[in-house]
Amino acid sequence: MTNPSPASPAAPSVQASGVSITGLNKSFGSNHVLKGIDLTVAPGEVVCLIGPSGSGKSTLLRCVNLLEVPDSGTVTVGGFEATDEDVDLNAMRRHVGMVFQHFNLFPHLTVLENCTVAQVKVLHRGKAESADVAKANLERVGLAGMEGRYPDQLSGGQQQRVAIARALSMDPQLMLFDEPTSALDPETVGEVLAVMRRLAGVGMTMLVVTHEMSFAREVADRVVFMDGGVVVEQGPAAQVIGNPQQPRTQDFLARVLNPTDVEF
Amino acid sequence: MSENQPGGAPVPQPGPDAGPAQATPRGPDAVRPGGARRRRRISLGIQAAVFVAAIIAVLLAVDWQTVGESVFNFAAVAPMFPDIILIGFGNTLLYTATSFAVGLVGGIVLALMRMSAFPPYRWLATVYTEFFRGVPALLVFLAFGYGVPFAFGVQWPIPVVVMASLGLVSAAYISETLRAGLQAVPKGQYEAARSLGMPGWRAMVTIVIPQAFRLVLPPLTNEVILLTKDSSLVYVLGLAAHEFELTKFGRDGITALGAGLTPVLVAGLMYLIITVPLSLLARRFESRGAGRSRS
Repeated sequence: MTNPSPASPAAPSVQASGVSITGLNKSFGSNHVLKGIDLTVAPGEVVCLIGPSGSGKSTLLRCVNLLEVPDSGTVTVGGFEATDEDVDLNAMRRHVGMVFQHFNLFPHLTVLENCTVAQVKVLHRGKAESADVAKANLERVGLAGMEGRYPDQLSGGQQQRVAIARALSMDPQLMLFDEPTSALDPETVGEVLAVMRRLAGVGMTMLVVTHEMSFAREVADRVVFMDGGVVVEQGPAAQVIGNPQQPRTQDFLARVLNPTDVEF
Repeated sequence: MSENQPGGAPVPQPGPDAGPAQATPRGPDAVRPGGARRRRRISLGIQAAVFVAAIIAVLLAVDWQTVGESVFNFAAVAPMFPDIILIGFGNTLLYTATSFAVGLVGGIVLALMRMSAFPPYRWLATVYTEFFRGVPALLVFLAFGYGVPFAFGVQWPIPVVVMASLGLVSAAYISETLRAGLQAVPKGQYEAARSLGMPGWRAMVTIVIPQAFRLVLPPLTNEVILLTKDSSLVYVLGLAAHEFELTKFGRDGITALGAGLTPVLVAGLMYLIITVPLSLLARRFESRGAGRSRS
């Protein structure tokens, strides 16, 4: 409110927060999905979570902003002890942007309204300022001029970029991506990854669940391989993807990187 | 049936080469490409012939003079006006509107109870809904019109009896409609709203309920149509002249006016003046809602 300059949100500087996860357990009924996960993400770091489906990657990501409530363990985001019963979850979530596999744009609102509704209702920003912030972020994801469209008038890639702009409009200090390109047509995957690459370039803390190994190798500071609810292996992207040490990681990467070589 | 299936008709083919490849699944038509089209033409011809024959039969069989006197005898029903409009039409609208108001409020409360985390609320709402959807509305009218005065010694005015009876019945139906509408909004919508820092109530008010509202508008409009017609059930109770609604006017007109069925026809047309626009409205809501209901 003090700085109405529309250029500020697009400025390439981010106040980044880290994440610290210790001893995280989560079960759905008898299905023990996360088995004592420890993971830290430093401010400004880009961490990619990879692993077979059902390994608990998405559940772990959803535990970071408490969309799933862990059974035990702690999650600390910035200054917020997210797993503390008394913490103001809504205040915590304002600092954590989330991008979903299926976009989850609000279909009854325009592109601009998608990006302003939470600014107005949650941050209590003025309408004009919210619109300025939203427009700057839409421009940032390459969607200037689309403000008046409705989500169903956009391609999947465009919708996902609106979802990123929507999250960025809250000035998050951490971004969570839950398989952001898995529901996209192959030809629109690139435009979404390009936006994420640029975001990583300006120092945003990012925790990304992905199957895009080339993206992980190129953009991630660290790659975490999960299987069966535990972190099997982690390290620099080049090491985990290029020279994995654990047999399970080797096996998974062999199947993902050379899908035609799989022996049955 | 087969007319609507593009596969059955010889669709214009992209080129001569595409012919043999597409021909196999079409079976016998492939042998004689004109077969499907010819059969469709024969089918249409038969339908037209039956239609024309039926019309001729009706024209010949019906005694038009009698029909004119006892169904379309509009001159004889003139005494019904203007009361059937001022009182009957007005009361039908009044009974419908008040019972819909009660039904909507009750339906919202019941829907919230059905989705409550506190089990006894859910049980109560389920029992209520199953009961009032399962008994005839007429029985509820009798209960409130005759049963309540007998049991408790209070005689409610007729408009209140209608409002209560139809309102309680429609609340059961409306609650199911509302619940289905809320549950039809994908869970991801609520999650996206929460992940932007919205409190639960804000996510419901700003994101979920507006989408659910679009989904339930057509069925709610249909509920109003049903209520309009069900308000006629009030005829089983003793009504004072100023409480008459359309059906009562139609029924009394049969004996009073000597115009045969005409009074009933007039009453029926009055109902259509209410229900047809509502029906068109519901259809417009339906086509508009479909455009923006998915993410």
